Amino acid sequence: MPKVIAVHSYRGGTGKSNLTANLATTVAQQGYRVGVVDTDMPSPGIHNIFGLEPEMITKTLNSYLWGEAELADGAYDVSQNLDLGNGGELFLVPSSCKADDIAHILKDGYDVRLLNDGFRQLVKTLELDYLFIDTHPGLSKETFLTIAISHCLLLIVRPDKQDYQGTAVTLDVARQLNVRHVQIVINKALSCLEPGALRQKVEETYEVPVAGLFPLSEDVVKLASEGVFCARHPEHSVTQEFQAVARRIME
Amino acid sequence: MSNTGKLKAFADSIAAATSPFRNYLSDLHRKYLPLSDGTVADYIPELALADPSWFGVAVATVEGQVFEVGDCAQPFTIQSISKAFVYGLALEDHGRDYVNSKVGVEPTGEAFNAIVLDEATNRPYNPMVNAGAIATADLIKGKDGTERLKRMLDMFSRYTGRSHDIHVPVFLSERATGNRNRAIAYLMLNFGMVSDRIDETLDLYFQQCSILVTARDLSLMAATLANGGVNPVTGDRALDQRYVQDVVSVMLTCGMYDSSGDWAYRVGMPAKSGVGGGITAVSPGKLGIGTFSPPLDAKGNSLRGIRVCQQLSQDFGLHPFNVAPPPKDLDSWIKGDADLDRW
Repeated sequence: MPKVIAVHSYRGGTGKSNLTANLATTVAQQGYRVGVVDTDMPSPGIHNIFGLEPEMITKTLNSYLWGEAELADGAYDVSQNLDLGNGGELFLVPSSCKADDIAHILKDGYDVRLLNDGFRQLVKTLELDYLFIDTHPGLSKETFLTIAISHCLLLIVRPDKQDYQGTAVTLDVARQLNVRHVQIVINKALSCLEPGALRQKVEETYEVPVAGLFPLSEDVVKLASEGVFCARHPEHSVTQEFQAVARRIME
Repeated sequence: MSNTGKLKAFADSIAAATSPFRNYLSDLHRKYLPLSDGTVADYIPELALADPSWFGVAVATVEGQVFEVGDCAQPFTIQSISKAFVYGLALEDHGRDYVNSKVGVEPTGEAFNAIVLDEATNRPYNPMVNAGAIATADLIKGKDGTERLKRMLDMFSRYTGRSHDIHVPVFLSERATGNRNRAIAYLMLNFGMVSDRIDETLDLYFQQCSILVTARDLSLMAATLANGGVNPVTGDRALDQRYVQDVVSVMLTCGMYDSSGDWAYRVGMPAKSGVGGGITAVSPGKLGIGTFSPPLDAKGNSLRGIRVCQQLSQDFGLHPFNVAPPPKDLDSWIKGDADLDRW
């Protein structure tokens, strides 16, 4: 049965798109058919990480929501940029990064229920094993919906007070929506914090398992938004942590 | 408490948008959208303007959850669907005995616009044919046409939880071309079956047919009947509990024009259709269905609407006489059992 994974954080700049891209790539490397949808419509960006040039993009999530195309028409096969091997494939549905299109969405909104229909149709048409949804930070109608339909919700937390509080709110919502599997990923942890103690503290605070912990890494920052880290540095310790999180999602 | 109340209400609406039942409806919508048979009603020019691809399916449960797929917010004229609900208002105004003395409850098998009255009693056969609907409109109380119309509109508001308007061009066209209905009214006047405020009552009848509704409205109207006359979302009573059974019974026997027998056999849910493309169908104690799709079959019933109701009835065992276990269990599809394949 196909599995839907929502990647969310309460605040922006937590590394959501980066984590999504790396996890999706790691799963596709195991030979699975993987889809990624960028629902961060006000500030799209994950296409950069996958090396999909804006001039290559014709149909997008926006086209689907405006009734101009099927969601699968806006799916781009980015597998060749990722050295997947094993027969895996990765499709990306970007959001439009044209100012006019973003303004259109902000001004008129859209029927959030279309997202649900579109995701289901995309999974069927492309015969996906996994669908990753990169969300807009904070809580909105679309994040509620995305959280409600996901089989697994990954919440990214940076170890600071604002993120801690926001994550508590998000977890309240997730519980209200009866999400079955919620896991936390700690990102950009300063090297002065002891990883084991940090994990334990977060797990005790939220009563949610920590799927992975990523240090504030210069290597990742250098490559951010210009490629999928785990494809470029397959032996790096950060890549191993991506693989650990991917295993927990696939359990 | 009020904070968690809001969160819960919003979470519930999201749950309705993502439940397996809505996914089921979405698949149903996708399945029947390509259907290109049937013709859009064109006896007046305004109806001919309808887009044949408009298609909405809404289901409201007696618990107040509403599931919508497709064009559920597109307004259209209610047409004959109004007849069932105005019949309920007439029952409240006069009681069962008096209303029965003016309008029968016998299916005719004749077309909806037949000029035929029961020869023994001079009554129109039932409130769903035009003759019976005009006689029923005549019974609506009020000091003048305006007050009578307002009482009707207020009644529809209680069923749907929102205010309603008349589509004026449709009303004017119906009135301008309604000579057959005028003839029926005068025939009934001749037999003393309607009062002599004939022009006012005919206007009222043309207005009630021109009320704008949506598929969502139709689902709530049916769900209100399914819920014993109380709108399950607002909690407002729309119809006296005693008369719910009366209204739903005539829907079952006469609601689908002259294919009511076939409908009772295949679908079973008491229903009422209109030439605007709407169907409202009641599953007592469970839910109400509202569909909207303008292309009609030869009998004047929405083609996609028929298919949707038929399939819902079969899949969830909504035929009132069904005793076999249905292929799908309604409760678990609505609540969202983890076992159901949601994708």
